[in-house]
Amino acid sequence: MMPLVESLLRLLVWLLLAPLLPGLINQVKAWVAGRRGPPALQLYYDLARLWRKGVVLSHLASPGFLAGPAVGWVAITGAALLLPLGPGGGGVSFRGDVLLFVYLLAVARFCTAWAALETGSAFEGMGAAREVSFAVLAEVALITAILTLSVQSGSVTLATMLAPAAGAGAVLLAAGLFAVLLAENCRVPFDDPNTHLELTMIHEVMVLDHSGPPLAVVLHGAAMKLMIFAVLLVQAVLPIGTLSPVVAAGWLAGGVLGVTLGVGLVESLLARFAFRRVPLLLTTAFLLCLFALLLAWKGGGA
Amino acid sequence: MTPALPLGVAAATLVVSMMLGLRWSRGWLALVVAGALATAVAAVLVLAGAGEWEWRSTFAVGGERLHLRLDALSAMFLLLVGVVGAAGAVYAREYWSDERYPRSAGRGRCWWSALFVSQAAVLLASNGLHFLLAWELFAVCGYFLIVLESRRRDVRAAGWLYLAASHAGTLGLFAFFSALAAQTGSWELGPMREQAALAPLFWLALFGFAVKAGVFPLHIWLPSAHASAPSHVSAVLSGVALKMGVYGLVRFSGWLPLPGAAGWVVISLGAAGALLGIAFALAQNDLKRLLAYSSVENIGVIMIGLGAALLGAARGETSWGRLALAGALLHVWNHGLFKSLLFFGAGSVLHATGTREISRLGGLWRAMPWTAGLFALGAMAVAALPPLNGFVSEWLVYLGLFDGAMGRGAAAWATMPAAIVLAMTGALALATFVKASALVFLGAPRTRAATRAHESGRWMRAPMAGLAAACVALGLAPGLIWPVLARATGVWHPAWGTAEAPGPFGTLGTVHLVLAILMVAAAVGLGRRVHPRGLRRAPTWDCGFAAPSARMQYTSGSFGGVATPWFALVLRPARIQRRPRGYFPADTLHLQRVPETVLEHVIEPVGRAILRGASLARRLQHGRLQFYIAYVGVGLVALGAIAWWGDVR
Repeated sequence: MMPLVESLLRLLVWLLLAPLLPGLINQVKAWVAGRRGPPALQLYYDLARLWRKGVVLSHLASPGFLAGPAVGWVAITGAALLLPLGPGGGGVSFRGDVLLFVYLLAVARFCTAWAALETGSAFEGMGAAREVSFAVLAEVALITAILTLSVQSGSVTLATMLAPAAGAGAVLLAAGLFAVLLAENCRVPFDDPNTHLELTMIHEVMVLDHSGPPLAVVLHGAAMKLMIFAVLLVQAVLPIGTLSPVVAAGWLAGGVLGVTLGVGLVESLLARFAFRRVPLLLTTAFLLCLFALLLAWKGGGA
Repeated sequence: MTPALPLGVAAATLVVSMMLGLRWSRGWLALVVAGALATAVAAVLVLAGAGEWEWRSTFAVGGERLHLRLDALSAMFLLLVGVVGAAGAVYAREYWSDERYPRSAGRGRCWWSALFVSQAAVLLASNGLHFLLAWELFAVCGYFLIVLESRRRDVRAAGWLYLAASHAGTLGLFAFFSALAAQTGSWELGPMREQAALAPLFWLALFGFAVKAGVFPLHIWLPSAHASAPSHVSAVLSGVALKMGVYGLVRFSGWLPLPGAAGWVVISLGAAGALLGIAFALAQNDLKRLLAYSSVENIGVIMIGLGAALLGAARGETSWGRLALAGALLHVWNHGLFKSLLFFGAGSVLHATGTREISRLGGLWRAMPWTAGLFALGAMAVAALPPLNGFVSEWLVYLGLFDGAMGRGAAAWATMPAAIVLAMTGALALATFVKASALVFLGAPRTRAATRAHESGRWMRAPMAGLAAACVALGLAPGLIWPVLARATGVWHPAWGTAEAPGPFGTLGTVHLVLAILMVAAAVGLGRRVHPRGLRRAPTWDCGFAAPSARMQYTSGSFGGVATPWFALVLRPARIQRRPRGYFPADTLHLQRVPETVLEHVIEPVGRAILRGASLARRLQHGRLQFYIAYVGVGLVALGAIAWWGDVR
């Protein structure tokens, strides 16, 4: 009985806390700009409202247009449950779960891109093409970061990989993973989540034709993905697993909050990059992770 | 029961079907399916643990006694031959029917049976001479199947290229088997790991089998042959025939002593092939060519696994070596299944619209929902997405590579880069197959041909559904096939077979099953949530643009246009552009094409140089007698000089 309750609790934490992060980012941005900004809970209101709304579908859309967001959301939730929550532990933990984690995020990407292309819109084609292409570099950086953690800890299980600190390359790894977080969640400087009507968008432009409950599912999934990356980054860098449960929970919550603030600050202080510079930035992220890998390699032997 | 009985039945039915196929289509189909079933029974018997089966004849063929052997390794490949052979035969009944192709349908049936038999013979032969005979027969059958539609020029060219490349590879194998026979004193094949002098022969085998498997720089014949052949033939070429090359590599790397560099070379070839293969695939506009290049990528993934296994074996690393090998072997099955499915899907599209160009298709899901759904499933499987089968094998390969990296030995310098390349390959494969499936089946039809598409009939849908079911089953229940993989790895390396299943293999299956159920439930749930509220249909919003047209959609070139330039150094895309000029531009032009780079920029220049050299040498042959006498005189003087100086010294 207890494991079931624990899993449910873990699921609730993910589902209920995730929409808070975009709200916090907006608060930070408003604070830096000296505005009042939308309430921190705005995304919750939006989700509740969208869930009750009707749907307008494109004439061209197949049933896959509705299945895409649903399957993608399940994949993201699955990835979230694989990720240990500090002292709370992970839902399922087995050797090699980290690869399933990476590929579940890929499933979500496939589904989003698929649903975007359902409508035959040029804008959405553009977004989908960029999403899947830039993800190539982001995924390489992510796998390199994971390889670093595995070499460091001698394990391919998320729970044991993430428990100790990242060691010598912690700063490099943190910088690399933070860049991946920004790219995968379509934040500035890779993308601008505020505008819709430009040729320069990646993620937002893929969901232009979604409305009602499917849009709610997409937005909630995106919020969870942001939280997943924040939790991954914090646990990869800080020795969460070696602390006592209460302290660890505090550090984890503080860390996620810190990452969120960081995203908000980056978004306030930096302009979006030109598209031709996005691959360069992602390659830099990959190189940072690669150097972290080399440091882990050298350091572990000593 | 020994496998002898089903194998005998299979041989008999298939040979009869070969003879009757020309006229009698229904009977042929029944015979081939029966033969495939018997083949599969034989393979399953061995895989289920009946042990190795051997048979020697009392009579001789070509001066050598027949020696057949079926062990778990060859049985894995034999099962694939049976499954795809039967599926393709059923598919061809409608796709390459007597009504549509009265001239070539009968021939196609005969060669299909012959290909089936010769592939099985390659897998069973345990005598170098007979192996070569079966190999040659198999290559020739492939040629005749590719050129079934020999009226078309591109088909003839593709067939010719296939035949030339195939024979270049066979030449390597001739050298390999005859050197092997000369050094061991017998044509008999079998484990000979202790004869260290044989190690250099591995390079000959690597060349010969790599040409057939389409390993990267030797893949030149593959794209055009797979694209131009009839789709059921493409399916069997890509799903099974390439695997014969893999079989040769796996078989002989297990039997022969290996040079120290073998693992390094194989894993490097695999990594290069995986990455560049998928980069080429992303750049293609021809649906079947895209699938063909994706085969180059998947063969690369298999080679990465095999290379890691070779490295592990050389260092006595059982734990990760066998994971990598099991991943490679499982990927052989998986790729055989989903690539055949995808080629069948591409064939249905071609059948319905008459074009393979992705930029001329679009919106086909409405007319052909079955094909669309099954193709999408195949696309998800080939992009290695959980919970389908492609992920299971790549997961095993990844685990092998990660464990190799964590071992911190010298091998980690190969496995770490390979893991990173595999990640990049996976993400590119996802981009490629989003493009291949979504641009073909979703959106608005881009041409009239796409508007008038129609669903293919039962005979074409059934094999696709069967293969898709197999992909799902292998994804959801990987734990069931671990014993098979363990037996096959045990044949390859005797010390590796007894090892326990890696614990998480079963857990992964359970997680996959739960995920699959939840995904279906979520999709159905969201659909039900949306429907009662009344679905309103409207034109695509597209930021409020009022008159969207099908021509505004993203095309295959524009979709691949973000990532393709990253590989321009290797891909060398050619572009012809005429920009709009003046205030009222009349015409503009933009053509972009990715050439067969290795063929056009490497092989052809070399070929031209050889021809030029030959034509220079031909000037010496002009038919004028006095010059020939002069040549003889010069030759005699030269010989005399050599003799004179040699004598003096």
